[in-house]
Amino acid sequence: MKLKRCLSLVRASLLDSLQFRGALILTFVGNLFYLLLIYYLWKAIYASSDSDIINGMTFSDTMIYLVFASALFNFMEMWIVWGIGRNIQSGQIVVDLLKPIEFRSFVFFSGCGEPIIKFVTTFLPTAIIVYFISGRAIPLGKNLIFFTISVALGMLINFYINFFVATICMYTQSIWGINIMKEVIVGLLSGASVPLAFFPETLRNIVMYLPFQAICNSPLQILLHNEYPVSEVLVILGIQLFWVLFLMIFTDLFFRVSVRRITVNGG
Amino acid sequence: MESIIELKNVSKEFKILNRHEGVKGSIKDLFSRDYKIVNAVNDISMTINKGEIVGYLGPNGAGKSTTIKMMTGVLEPSSGEILCNGVIPYKKRSENAQNIGVVFGQRSQLWWSLPVVESFKILKDIYQVPDKDYNDMMELYSSIVDMENLLHKPVRQMSLGQRTLCDILAAFIHNPAVVFLDEPTIGLDVAMKAKIRELVKTLNHEKNTTVILTTHDMGDVDALCKRIVIIDKGKMLFDNDIEHLSELFGAYRTLILSLNKKGTKCDEEHMKKLSDDVLSLLSEEFSDTSAFSLSFADDKTEILIDESKTSVVKVLNAVQKKYKIYDMHLQDISTESVIRKIYEGGI
Repeated sequence: MKLKRCLSLVRASLLDSLQFRGALILTFVGNLFYLLLIYYLWKAIYASSDSDIINGMTFSDTMIYLVFASALFNFMEMWIVWGIGRNIQSGQIVVDLLKPIEFRSFVFFSGCGEPIIKFVTTFLPTAIIVYFISGRAIPLGKNLIFFTISVALGMLINFYINFFVATICMYTQSIWGINIMKEVIVGLLSGASVPLAFFPETLRNIVMYLPFQAICNSPLQILLHNEYPVSEVLVILGIQLFWVLFLMIFTDLFFRVSVRRITVNGG
Repeated sequence: MESIIELKNVSKEFKILNRHEGVKGSIKDLFSRDYKIVNAVNDISMTINKGEIVGYLGPNGAGKSTTIKMMTGVLEPSSGEILCNGVIPYKKRSENAQNIGVVFGQRSQLWWSLPVVESFKILKDIYQVPDKDYNDMMELYSSIVDMENLLHKPVRQMSLGQRTLCDILAAFIHNPAVVFLDEPTIGLDVAMKAKIRELVKTLNHEKNTTVILTTHDMGDVDALCKRIVIIDKGKMLFDNDIEHLSELFGAYRTLILSLNKKGTKCDEEHMKKLSDDVLSLLSEEFSDTSAFSLSFADDKTEILIDESKTSVVKVLNAVQKKYKIYDMHLQDISTESVIRKIYEGGI
């Protein structure tokens, strides 16, 4: 019965997203432009370098990584922060708080539709195209199963980080600055815009201890390196799981404290 | 009667930053610790029984919405106790939400881009309503309002009235024990207002749902509420049946008489003399002259009668002994004018 609630919300958000097919097409086209941009950018970077391999990655390694990273990050993002921020500002949040479901779960399941649709419309086609263009450079095997689990964990981590940022809005009543900052930090440190291999050694070591790299870097490492022994993959998944649990408890406590000081604007 | 909501000495304080004017002031505010405490709700106690429709009234900013938000569990009271259905709302918000329905006239809980029937189905799942109960409820709905052409319309294409109607239906879908209606008729036309009143009345009657209604439209109050609670500046001013409301200022009624034959020249002088004559006539007849006062408007003589002291019929009887009454009209003090007097500080 509980499951039915969640599925119903997911279904609603699927239907909701499907109403806006124009937006879906535009996202797809926008992503193509982004890929074109990074293609020429990295081509220039590699052209200015003396060797074909930078930081242990060839041009095609980098491109495959980045195309996947953008496709992955694109469908993972739930855009809940703007929505919650707007609802806090306008007071509309009352309506969601008065649902007989925990607010965080409500937001999560109501936000699920878009990722699911984007997974089918953006990620899958991109993956298949890259697979053939790159001359089947992506290994297919048990890594796909681990990759799927890792993506799910990464999505949860990203969701909790977003939820944390959205909760801050209860104090600031404004979300713009904080969310821009979050997007830059997550975009960079998750490995979604630059492979972590390109980071300076110290920064990379620090980043490995932060939750952000577990969003995008972890699943991609698992996907692109089928040669990793299972034990190493399990360590990556274990770190992700740690962050999921940590953030789950942390955001729950933070929200509980914050919601008590909510003022609910308007009327 | 069985009580369903209980408030005991409930208060709510907000801490608000004292803001300054202009750019300079705004910059100063960034570092200011100059807060003031606002008592939005101040020591309110009431008990609401099952199946009642209570009008919760007060001028803008009186603390109505704050009280409702505390009863629904969104806000935590600064002091005092609230029990809704035996549950402390803010401690168990989700559990409490299962037993209540809420409509905010200015907000919608429906899924914006979906046909409204989808919203109903989602709500059915969220509130875990059994199929049978849901179908029964739908049947009841279609017997009260004509929903057929609304059900498949996306909410964003609806008029405000249609949307509000659907929002009210949505709030009742899980057959909650209490429904809070916060200004449900705001901005609606008269026909839609009447429809919504009828709907609320029928649902309250059929399902014995307790309804707590805040509104600024006295038409809503007259049509729906037996009992009203009035608050202002966070303090409770009145909590009683609506019949008692007019007695708050004495039981006044106005008797309006035309004592002039058609075609008589009714200038001010004439009317003034006439009402003086009537007054002296009444003074002879009644010992207690404070029971009535006279005024005139156009060609009509108006007698304001305090019914706790004398009756309208007696006054009428006294007047018609000497004058021919061509037309008469009896006016009750309207709920609206009483409420206005209260808001303006007449109490």
